[in-house]
Amino acid sequence: MKQILLITDGCSNVGESPVMAAAHALQEGITVNVVGVIDHGTIGELGSREIADIAKAGGGLSRIVGTPQLAQTIQMMTRKTVVQTIQQAVNKEVKKILGDGSLEELPPLQRSQVVNVVDELTETSPLRIALLIDASASMKPKLAAVEDAIRDLALSLEAREGKSEIAVFHFPGRTSSEDAELDMDWTSNVSGVRSLFSKLRMRGATPTGPAIFRVLEHYRYDTLDGHHGRLMTEDPDEREGMIGGYVV
Amino acid sequence: MGMSSNPPYPLGTVITGKWRGNRYVIQRLLGRGANGTVYLVQRQGRREYYALKIGYDALDLQSEINVLTSLQSRRKRNEYRAQRESPLSSYLLEADDYREDDNKPFYVMRYVQGRPLHHFLSKNGPDWLGLVGLKLLDKLRRLHECGFVFGDLKPENVMVSDVGEAELIDFGGASPMGRSVKQFTEWHDRGFWNAGSRTGDEAYDLFAFAVLCLRLLNEPGLKSAALQLPQTRSVDELLKLARSLPDKKLSSWICHALKGGFNGSAEAMEIWKNHIYGSRKARPEHMATPRWLKNAFGLSLFMLAFTIYWLLRF
Repeated sequence: MKQILLITDGCSNVGESPVMAAAHALQEGITVNVVGVIDHGTIGELGSREIADIAKAGGGLSRIVGTPQLAQTIQMMTRKTVVQTIQQAVNKEVKKILGDGSLEELPPLQRSQVVNVVDELTETSPLRIALLIDASASMKPKLAAVEDAIRDLALSLEAREGKSEIAVFHFPGRTSSEDAELDMDWTSNVSGVRSLFSKLRMRGATPTGPAIFRVLEHYRYDTLDGHHGRLMTEDPDEREGMIGGYVV
Repeated sequence: MGMSSNPPYPLGTVITGKWRGNRYVIQRLLGRGANGTVYLVQRQGRREYYALKIGYDALDLQSEINVLTSLQSRRKRNEYRAQRESPLSSYLLEADDYREDDNKPFYVMRYVQGRPLHHFLSKNGPDWLGLVGLKLLDKLRRLHECGFVFGDLKPENVMVSDVGEAELIDFGGASPMGRSVKQFTEWHDRGFWNAGSRTGDEAYDLFAFAVLCLRLLNEPGLKSAALQLPQTRSVDELLKLARSLPDKKLSSWICHALKGGFNGSAEAMEIWKNHIYGSRKARPEHMATPRWLKNAFGLSLFMLAFTIYWLLRF
């Protein structure tokens, strides 16, 4: 499973539409979640609509919270989307086998078996989350909370049985040609999440769309690289076979 | 995700199961958990009370039901092996869907009468902690024996009867050992205090139990420790709080649990039983008798003798 978690506090203002970028991500099997983080004032109608639209296009969830709720919110979103992704895959199988309907329509015994499979896969499937952090000037006072939330997320992921990795990007990058900069490459090591953003120089522009594309490139590059093993959504036939085996 | 803001069903609402057709009459709201709303109900035409939980999400609730089911079957096996006479405390009666309201999933469980642990202690006094703590540790030990961790242990999830019987409620956070903990509450979470992983093991529950004790005995202290910056927040703050407790045996038990020092809940319970439950404070009856009292007593004896002498003389 692959996810992008975008943490921002406002509207994009440079480059391609972030909604389109998120739609591209979904097309490539990557779910996009968005957290709008605000401490004072509001995020504005435009900003909150964009946040909702990006998540919708990316097949994920969106929330607008203050920094105290940040850690808990991204935990919940991540967990929920992982379950959703698994559930969608399992539901497809269930339909094939039992003919009708969603989980809610199954009789208790079958439902219990299906949920067992979902829980099992939720815990054991390999998972990758790319965190994409808005580092525009207004985000500066919130970055400490963001870093704490990332550490907390990494701690939860570390407890999973399946392989879990995170990577951290911030945008915009150091030069105007760089849409997003990689702060930490794929790791499953919580202790790596320390002073991520200490050397950041804040800049004004918010190229959310191009930054999402940059992360997609990173995902693609890594898939070509191939030494990280196959992730669940890369091969639909393989995946369906595996789940089918569980259900029957 | 999040709490459902649905208003509670009014008293007298009848919930009919779609699959099994049993009917339950709502008596009152008992509480809201992360996965659903819990009501006190009566099976229609019967006297017994049950607790009925209506889920917000079919998957989350079913996951909880699955834990209860496997817990129940493992427990039955264990009890059979141990030839225990006590009746099974069955968690789960049945699961079904509420036909009249959008087929919302629900399950019915035993109703545990009592009040949440923190309310119980503030009503009856902290002297009860020794006994109630022992009973709670016993529940945890049995859960661990069945291969599960509770996860979200906090006073709100412990019901205590008038005579100090403790029961765990809300198994939404329970997970098989070795799996990641599904639900937790910041203060009680080992990860929050930079004191270890979020993998479910016996020590995870014992850590949460230790924080629970601190919260019951010194909530303001715990609160200010929790407000520290995440980078400086550490288990040392909790250890400091524990050491400042007046009961030294309790404080060393808590420190041990915070450091993950117990070999498991069985050992933790044994030590609690011997050192905390067993060490009831002596009543102040051995106080030395003050001299003035002795003198007064002597004087009254003398007066009695004198009076008798006086009476007999005439």
